[in-house]
Amino acid sequence: MTRLDSSRSLRWLCTLAAALALVVVLFPVYAVIVGSFESTQTLFSGTFYWLPHAATLANYSTVIQAQSGHVLTSLIVALGTAALALIVAVPAAYALSKYRLRVTVVLVSSLLICQIVPSIVLATSLFIVFHWTHLVNSYPGLIIADGTYAIPFAILVLRAFFFSLPNEVMQAARVDGASEWQTFYRIVVPLARSAVITVAVFAFLNGWGDFIFALTILSGSGIEPITLGIYTYLGNYSTDWGAVMASAAFAMVPAGVMLVLAQRYIASGLTAGSVVG
Amino acid sequence: MSYADMKPGAGAPAHTISATRQGSTSHKTGGTQKTGHLTAWRRRQLAGWLFLAPAIAYILFAFALPIVYNVMLSFELTSPATIGHFTAPFAGLANYRFILNDPTSTTAIIHTFEFTAGSLAGQFIIGFALALLFTVRFPGRTVGRSLVIIPWLLPLIVTGVIFKFLFQLEGGAVNQLLIDIGIAHHPIDWLDNPHLALWTILIANIWLGVPFFTLLLYSALQDVPVEVKEAALMDGAGPWQRLRLVIVPIIMPVIEITFLLGFVFTVKVFDLVIGLTGGGPANATQLITTWSYNLSFQQFSFGEGAALNNILLVLALICAPLYLLLSRDSLRRSSGAAR
Repeated sequence: MTRLDSSRSLRWLCTLAAALALVVVLFPVYAVIVGSFESTQTLFSGTFYWLPHAATLANYSTVIQAQSGHVLTSLIVALGTAALALIVAVPAAYALSKYRLRVTVVLVSSLLICQIVPSIVLATSLFIVFHWTHLVNSYPGLIIADGTYAIPFAILVLRAFFFSLPNEVMQAARVDGASEWQTFYRIVVPLARSAVITVAVFAFLNGWGDFIFALTILSGSGIEPITLGIYTYLGNYSTDWGAVMASAAFAMVPAGVMLVLAQRYIASGLTAGSVVG
Repeated sequence: MSYADMKPGAGAPAHTISATRQGSTSHKTGGTQKTGHLTAWRRRQLAGWLFLAPAIAYILFAFALPIVYNVMLSFELTSPATIGHFTAPFAGLANYRFILNDPTSTTAIIHTFEFTAGSLAGQFIIGFALALLFTVRFPGRTVGRSLVIIPWLLPLIVTGVIFKFLFQLEGGAVNQLLIDIGIAHHPIDWLDNPHLALWTILIANIWLGVPFFTLLLYSALQDVPVEVKEAALMDGAGPWQRLRLVIVPIIMPVIEITFLLGFVFTVKVFDLVIGLTGGGPANATQLITTWSYNLSFQQFSFGEGAALNNILLVLALICAPLYLLLSRDSLRRSSGAAR
């Protein structure tokens, strides 16, 4: 009786603790939404209002005019990064798990090391290499650079997934006369659908959220993703916080959409990539 | 083992069978069969290499070339005029000498260590506490577990900007809270006080990294067998003893790899600091990454930036052998279908 009571109250205590933690986790996101609806006067009044105070849509109308081009740019970059990651990673992961090649150990080790390399190291050299190869200020250049976040991770996650596919599936296809490419494209890729989606979601978020390569590789060109747009807003001495927060709200949309639509893929990708990786 | 197994004819039964069946006249036939086998094997090898080709090309262009080029740059005397060219005059160790004598560079290196150590400690303690919390079956834990990963999904620059908004001197939510509940009487200058600014970026980074620790440690805790926990309970172990003597040793491999990846993520942090403080005030939050950016892209001293980059790279790669060691099962694993 007492034990049951205590365990029940313990559970509610846990709910309370979790709720408190979630308030801390979610508050910054909440503050963006509140801030994005505040007027400039409110934001410069020196007081933070916990609930929207004299809500207005003015910031959104400013931002929709100023940032919709940047949102489009970000979408192109994010989709391009996802496409590049899939084109490079899916076949490579398949080869690294289902073919016995002499290069496998070397390549998997170098992928693990690629994950460690800091982006600033790559950005400094890529800026000059891209100058040389005429990839500065271009979508292909930025997408190639953004792929450095996604591709090593994608190959390692997909490789771990392909190990779970029974070899008999491929052998059956070969017995039926399928070529290596047909086996891969018609049989293996459809079976790996969930892992492929996980990888695409992550690559999309990487391309969408990239800032460092946009900052370094797109120097003063017409191409400007939303992350760079937000940073430019900040640059002034008197920051237009309403506009910054409305832009930040736009920049958070894909994360929100992915969280709702691809929840299980995200969680499984995070753990798979890190523990198996 | 892997390569020898694949060799056609090495213990391949087809040859032996055909040889016995057809007796002494089988020399020629055996030969053709061997060739047929060989082409199938070759075709598969070729297919495997073709599947790998885009990845190999990508790694060479986007990783190997920049890394090698970065080493070259660090030994060159660069100037804005040399950017268009692939090489610049040789500078010897001048760039490295500059970095070691530059007070901002050395403090940036020290800040990076402090920031990394502080972040990992905070992320582990809070992340582990939350992971333990989520193992209890309480109402709302599924929703809680899925919402807790939100910080991990936001663009890092956005997180930096949000925290700048929250930590503003006037009208920032953090100061408002501290004043409303009576902890502080005056707004605290989180971002412009050089002694506090490093704490501010640390707090933001802990917020950012906790979900990663929580998720990984939670999934490790889920894998601890119930029997083990029950046995410890039967033996009269208290909650703290169960945690310290039973659960932690079991999940130790995951703790190690989480710390390792956390270290790698944290030494890379750039966007967050640029958005939050831009390395200021008075270089108080300058990390290796932000100072390297400043050297290369604001002062156009690419050689010096590259030298600092190489120091960062060595720092990050210190844990590479350990990472490879911890991932050795995955490395060794092979399930060749093309047997």
